Amino acid sequence: MRFVDEFRDPVLGRTLAGQILATVEPGRHYKIMEVCGGHTHSIYKYGIDDLLPENVELVHGPGCPVCVIPMGRVDDAIAMAHEPGVIFTCFGDMMRVPGSDGTLQDAKARGADIRMVYSPLDALRIARSEPDREVVFFAIGFETTAPSTALTLKRARTEGVENFSCFCNHVTIVPPLRALLESPDLRLDGFVGPGHVSTVVGARPLEFIPADYGKPVVVSGFEPVDILQSVLMILRQLAEGRCEVENQYKRVVPYEGNLAALAVLSEVFTLRPHFEWRGLGFISHSGLRLHDDYAAFDAELRFSVPGVRVADPKACQCGEVLKGVIRPFECKVFGTACTPERPIGTCMVSSEGACAAYYNYGRFARDKVMV
Amino acid sequence: MSDVERHHCITCSDEGCEMTVLAVDTERVLALCEEADGSHSTVETALVGEVQPGDVLLVHAGTALARTGTPA
Repeated sequence: MRFVDEFRDPVLGRTLAGQILATVEPGRHYKIMEVCGGHTHSIYKYGIDDLLPENVELVHGPGCPVCVIPMGRVDDAIAMAHEPGVIFTCFGDMMRVPGSDGTLQDAKARGADIRMVYSPLDALRIARSEPDREVVFFAIGFETTAPSTALTLKRARTEGVENFSCFCNHVTIVPPLRALLESPDLRLDGFVGPGHVSTVVGARPLEFIPADYGKPVVVSGFEPVDILQSVLMILRQLAEGRCEVENQYKRVVPYEGNLAALAVLSEVFTLRPHFEWRGLGFISHSGLRLHDDYAAFDAELRFSVPGVRVADPKACQCGEVLKGVIRPFECKVFGTACTPERPIGTCMVSSEGACAAYYNYGRFARDKVMV
Repeated sequence: MSDVERHHCITCSDEGCEMTVLAVDTERVLALCEEADGSHSTVETALVGEVQPGDVLLVHAGTALARTGTPA
């Protein structure tokens, strides 16, 4: 397949691994954070960390939207789903995220009409076909999925679909990165930047990382060769004393982003003063809500929700995993009480969560396998 | 859908889902698209300009965010 096969070329991968080895400074330990859950998934799917020298550590960032959703928002979703006449729609992964009293899947088993959809357009289609029911869409994701929600809301307004509303949990990527960089317990040397978020917002919003914090950023694709090349580009910046935003994923990411997507985002959404992130706490201007012009489609205004903040389970160390302070297998419940089948924490729910990526690809070993 | 593809997160879909345009509904700004596994779905195309059959689109949650290929 075009744009896939050439980026999975094992010869090219080994060549890049050799160049990485030749670039690192012996005795120095490098910590590089991959921001996206998609990168985390690829790293363990393809064993990319096994191709890196021992002194290059990949740290998994907060870029999986399922993993950062706080329990209180899941409780709010379940409350809406139990409202009479409501059809509650959400992406598949959200069905298994635990709230304080079970998951959406549990609520469905108890009789709530909860349906899995693949896009907000699917939810809108249900609303059209069931005009006597209230259809709520659980909107979640970074700037990659927010345009999809925004376009669907515009479509709903144009078509006058009044029984459709949106429970908005969209978040933005820059504020949590700034919060991480301000965190005293996390020392990073550079970032593998978010690939598809940058398709929408461009690479320019990441310029604050080198400018304000002196860390290199390379926006990266998701294939193994993409990630290896991005790690090499970061290491070369460090070796040459450079510090800038580079775009390894030029075949998809324009430096200025997708201007049409940015326009629709600013039309439909506005920033919340603050939003809670699992493990990271409240972060200013990090969440989106519907713009006042779209208030009629805001499920939080249409339905009464508990809106209660719920503390994470004590055994769960998702917060430390999301900040890259510990690795998934260092969590005390990893692979025992917490598994993809019976997750305690969100990082074990989504396939892009760091814990699930470790678990699904058999990464239980503490020691690297030398190649 | 293969086992590997099933592990993709459908929420943020950060492992890009490339789809090929089969047919275009210009009036509704939608396209019928095909994934590599042969499955079909309807995709919003408002953010990538005019598309034509054979175009390859990067799709997130039912919306095309970028065009990664055009018919030869």
